[in-house]
Amino acid sequence: MDFSFSDDELNWQNKARDFARNIIDPISVERDQIEGGFDPFDWSIIEKGSEIGFRTLAVPTEWGGPGTGFVTQALVMMALAKGDSGICKAFSQNWKWSHLIVNACNDEQKKRFLTEFINDHRYMLGRGITEPNAGCDNRLPPDNDPKAGYRLRAERDGNDWILNGEKTFIANGSVGSLFFIDARTDPNVDITKGGTLFLVHKSTPGFRIGKIFNKAGWRFYQNAELIFEDARVPHANVVGSVGTGSVKAAGGDTTGGDLFGDLELAANAVGICDDANQMAMLYATKVECSGKKLVDHQLIQLVISRMNMLTEALRSFVLRVAWEHDQGKRSANGVLMVNYSTDVVLEVTKLNMEVHGAHGCRNNPRVDKLVRDAMIWGHLAGDTSLRLKAFSKLDQGIGLEKVKT
Amino acid sequence: MFNMSLTSEQLEFQAMLCDFVTNEIKSESIKPSRLEPFDKPLMKDLLNQTSELGLRSISLSEEAGGVGADLMTSCIILEELSVGDVDIAITLSQTALLAGLLFDSWMTKEQHDLYISNFLSDTTFHLAYVGHDPDALAGWNYHTTIKEEHIGSPFATKLDENLIINGAVNFVTNAPIASLFIVPVSFEGKMTSLLIPKDIAGLKIYPAIKTAGKEQNRWHHGTMSRVEFTNCYVPIGDCLKNSDNGRDFSTRNIIQRAAINLGVGRVAFETAIEYTKIRRQGGADIIEHQAIGKMIADMAIKLEHARTMIWKAAWVLDNPDAVIDSNLSNLPLHIIASSFTAEVITDVTHLAAECFGAMAVMRDMPLQKYVEDAFIFANSDTNNLSTKLRITEAIVQSDR
Repeated sequence: MDFSFSDDELNWQNKARDFARNIIDPISVERDQIEGGFDPFDWSIIEKGSEIGFRTLAVPTEWGGPGTGFVTQALVMMALAKGDSGICKAFSQNWKWSHLIVNACNDEQKKRFLTEFINDHRYMLGRGITEPNAGCDNRLPPDNDPKAGYRLRAERDGNDWILNGEKTFIANGSVGSLFFIDARTDPNVDITKGGTLFLVHKSTPGFRIGKIFNKAGWRFYQNAELIFEDARVPHANVVGSVGTGSVKAAGGDTTGGDLFGDLELAANAVGICDDANQMAMLYATKVECSGKKLVDHQLIQLVISRMNMLTEALRSFVLRVAWEHDQGKRSANGVLMVNYSTDVVLEVTKLNMEVHGAHGCRNNPRVDKLVRDAMIWGHLAGDTSLRLKAFSKLDQGIGLEKVKT
Repeated sequence: MFNMSLTSEQLEFQAMLCDFVTNEIKSESIKPSRLEPFDKPLMKDLLNQTSELGLRSISLSEEAGGVGADLMTSCIILEELSVGDVDIAITLSQTALLAGLLFDSWMTKEQHDLYISNFLSDTTFHLAYVGHDPDALAGWNYHTTIKEEHIGSPFATKLDENLIINGAVNFVTNAPIASLFIVPVSFEGKMTSLLIPKDIAGLKIYPAIKTAGKEQNRWHHGTMSRVEFTNCYVPIGDCLKNSDNGRDFSTRNIIQRAAINLGVGRVAFETAIEYTKIRRQGGADIIEHQAIGKMIADMAIKLEHARTMIWKAAWVLDNPDAVIDSNLSNLPLHIIASSFTAEVITDVTHLAAECFGAMAVMRDMPLQKYVEDAFIFANSDTNNLSTKLRITEAIVQSDR
């Protein structure tokens, strides 16, 4: 075993730490406190980060990117998220879908879309799966209801497809240039047989942005409705084959980004925890209560120790999974890790709130912000459907054999 | 004899309030146009409507013109109100609790006669306590010599027949709307409490703390602001005859706040149940899935336990003989109930939010507010990391 990082990994980590400290952190709370769904977003942050390479970090060198591995990506996310979790996600969302372009698209599509992506600092990527009546069903389609799951309809018209329907809560929705869209090409069978994955550019006629969601946490990060009204998409934008199910077309992906999706969220959670730990320690060493520093009270020492224990355990799990991904290994660890990160990020940020108490919460809105950011995990990475998915990925057969033995 | 049934009056009041809250308050408080902005000013028209039901004077004795409700009845009422709007519940709880204590025991007869008719006839007449829980730091002082802490209290000096008050207190609940203030001050090494009307010279009441803009502060319930005294002359005759340094107020306030917190958990629970009955995923309404079913059961367990603790603690405060006669343990049940409630309501709101899926983190939907409300109760002046040690202190004291 070797826990050391390469020079290249450390170099990217340092760049991310500098960017988080000097560019993100000073504006993080300020952006969080801006009213509205879109207004907390700021293109200048994206452009500055893009110039360093944070927008295109996952693109392989043969397509003009830096070609980093999963361990590097995890390190960068941890560092950026310490500055602001939502801003980190705005960058890493692009890595998720550039991974998918590289893994699932044909060479013509790669050339067409990765070239545009690399060359434009405002080119953002997204994927539209969720619909108002299709959330968990996209991950775990029920056997007894073939109509469950996404319903956005795609019908063939010559060399084009006509898309009608809507997607909701779509990440980078209001700022994206290119979206993977899961659509029904056959509404009479379930989504694993009647689903097809399309690439849809924002300039597509009949495509527009609907409501931009105003969230409690991750306020910088954009989520929006995507509306399709006779949107005309060329057949050349079909990913994989028609009617193979969009999940299969995307190489098995069900959560968005296949291997990367779980890692992305768990690494981001580590960054929030690092931030919470630092805040708790700073506050506890600065503020006095009942004649001594907070940090000199056993109550506080126990809390801060637990926060750090949970954080370090999560960091180890994240880096292990990142390493497994770099080795091309697939296991249940990814989804188990993201379930675990959901519990950890919420507990650590809540404990930070306890260290600060009413006085600290009143005087530092970042305490409350971290919890609001952490709340997102429970509805994204660690909800019940994903915990059930984790079970489905466990090797139940081997377990039974062991019991028999 | 042990009896958990509510009286017919309590049940009637509860049912009437439930209708009022559902039809008048909740329909306004969960409108997206109110939920979405950071700033949520107190809904004064609804507050006045609620006051007209007699809720400002629930704790005031019948002889003085009030409802004469006991603390447990107040808790039942406040839970119902909080289901509609936590801020209205907090505001009325302060005024009602202070009114009972002030007019029935703290005031002299002259003071009582001077203010009672105005208080009863004017539904916008509110009260504010400009002080802190004297035991707030007791947990942090665990196993050290406990001294009454008056750090930050205004202080008084005497000149002829007046006390001159100087100092300031931040985050005073009800200050922006109060007509009369109860102000504990440090005077000649002791604490004494004064009655100060809002229009007296030398008293500055700052505007209500805003929850938007650069000076924003979202970490509070109700309406509050800073209260400042600069050479404020108060006649010695305005000293209260006995306020026990606000200890009775603080104790009862803790249990009332727990009841309001319980209302937050209950409305989150009820909202989640409504949603799980109509949200269809996995080939069924999601309430039919075991995973959701367990969450709902867990929420119900926590709410029922909290309510039982709150009612018991409230009853004990009105029936101290039960402790003296050793029928009940001599522990600070109000702290036990409040700490337990704070913990479980954060759990309940999180479980409810999980049932709600992504809609739970959208600012135009109510779940995110319930989660935030529960956090504010869990990390407040009366609930913090050290609060539980007040229970241990009581155990140690009884051993000694």
